[in-house]
Amino acid sequence: MKKTFQTKVLPWVIPALVLLLWQVVSSLQIVSPSLFPPPTNVFLSFWGLISSFVLFEHIQISLMRAFTGLLIGGFIGLSLGILNGWSKLSYFTFDTSIQMIRNVPHLALLPLAIVWLGIGETSKIFLVALGVMFPIYINTLHGIRSVNQGYVEMGKMYGLKGWKLFRHVYLPGALPSIFVGFRYALGVMWLTLIVAETIATSDGLGYLAMNARQFMQTEVIIVTIIIYALFGKLADVIAQMGERRALRWNPTYRE
Amino acid sequence: MLKKPVAPEPRAEETVPVNIRLDRLQKSFGAKQVLTEVDLTIQPGQFVAIVGKSGSGKSTLLRLIAGLEKPTGGQISFNGQSSDESDANMTMMYQDSRLLPWKTVINNVGLGLSGDWHNRAESVLESVGLLSYKEEWPSTLSGGQQQRVALARALIRKPQLLMLDEPLSALDALTRIEMQNLIEELQQENGFTALLVTHDVREAVRLADRILLIENGTITLDVDNYAPRPRDLSSQGMVALEKKVLSKIMGT
Repeated sequence: MKKTFQTKVLPWVIPALVLLLWQVVSSLQIVSPSLFPPPTNVFLSFWGLISSFVLFEHIQISLMRAFTGLLIGGFIGLSLGILNGWSKLSYFTFDTSIQMIRNVPHLALLPLAIVWLGIGETSKIFLVALGVMFPIYINTLHGIRSVNQGYVEMGKMYGLKGWKLFRHVYLPGALPSIFVGFRYALGVMWLTLIVAETIATSDGLGYLAMNARQFMQTEVIIVTIIIYALFGKLADVIAQMGERRALRWNPTYRE
Repeated sequence: MLKKPVAPEPRAEETVPVNIRLDRLQKSFGAKQVLTEVDLTIQPGQFVAIVGKSGSGKSTLLRLIAGLEKPTGGQISFNGQSSDESDANMTMMYQDSRLLPWKTVINNVGLGLSGDWHNRAESVLESVGLLSYKEEWPSTLSGGQQQRVALARALIRKPQLLMLDEPLSALDALTRIEMQNLIEELQQENGFTALLVTHDVREAVRLADRILLIENGTITLDVDNYAPRPRDLSSQGMVALEKKVLSKIMGT
């Protein structure tokens, strides 16, 4: 009983208090309601956007960009990480170049991406892919390299080679680290998307927010921020569930 | 009309234990010579214990025979074939079980096997007394149980040579006795050649038909142990043998 209070109720006390305080402060007009619309107004605007289906269109396009970018960047990062962790030759050929690109903040490439690829989908997907690639690459590489060499030796002794050695020893050994990279990449994915959509776009959640700014619809801006937060959390929860399922052999991931 | 002759039933696969020959075997790491000119012949089916202090080169000797290290000089042959050409079936048990934590017990036992190995895995798990644990994760087993699974993993391949690299040194005293009995029983039953590296002289006396002492990279003592099994460590012969090996190690 006490335990459920601590784990289920306590974490939500502060958010609830903040909401309450916010409602009181803005409905007493202590601050300007057009800058700090009360939560009830935000909720009403949320409802309005949902019932007019405007929100879904923007969410759909944003999600499409996010996941296409994640898929492309994740695939490249994972492949390079595995390749460079597996082969010294590949590591010395590619790693220095990858590290140089990684050290450029990828959002700094936004102007260049627009010039090269236009303001269409390609430039946004490109930036998301570029952003998620590196955390997945680094963590995959680290995971493959830190696989217990005792297991590798044992595997070879018991006749595992090539693909079999990779599938039974290296990949599962690297998986915890790959998941860390993946979850970190999800954060980068949203961040990149928000920035890319705010600057050069004509649809998507970021556009919705920027458009609302022009008309001083503060509550719509807040709605989009909340949606970003919800999707971010949702993506992380799903990733965590996958992690727990894939790593259930590991006592650290068991409940 | 004559019936077509029926091909004889293929006999159940039998393990032929392997004969090992080391010819002036040498190994150095950089300038440090670890093994100097080791000559040794091990009879098929023999249970040989290699004892020595840490750093004496006993583990290196085992790793050379296992093919995990390349010798700097000399020759290793199995049944008269040089180790490069030989397809002798060898398995190994390590000090840590090296069970893959992401595979269940039974999948660890069947690691790398193809075809239908499930029944064999079950029967070998039964012989180490862990059949009921077959679907467990290794992390839920005790250290002794993990080594039993590692033993099952080594035995399912019907090894001609089983190498044991201090497999019991991390276990508590009672579990160790249990494991010694199990290893002895399974070796007698299956008849493979066994090579046990240990720093525990009692363990060597308890298990081996022959005890080799390695000091400074060379064999300094080679005694046979014909005591009947099961062995009673408190019998006069056993105590005398243990004393003999120990006093040689300690230089007294």
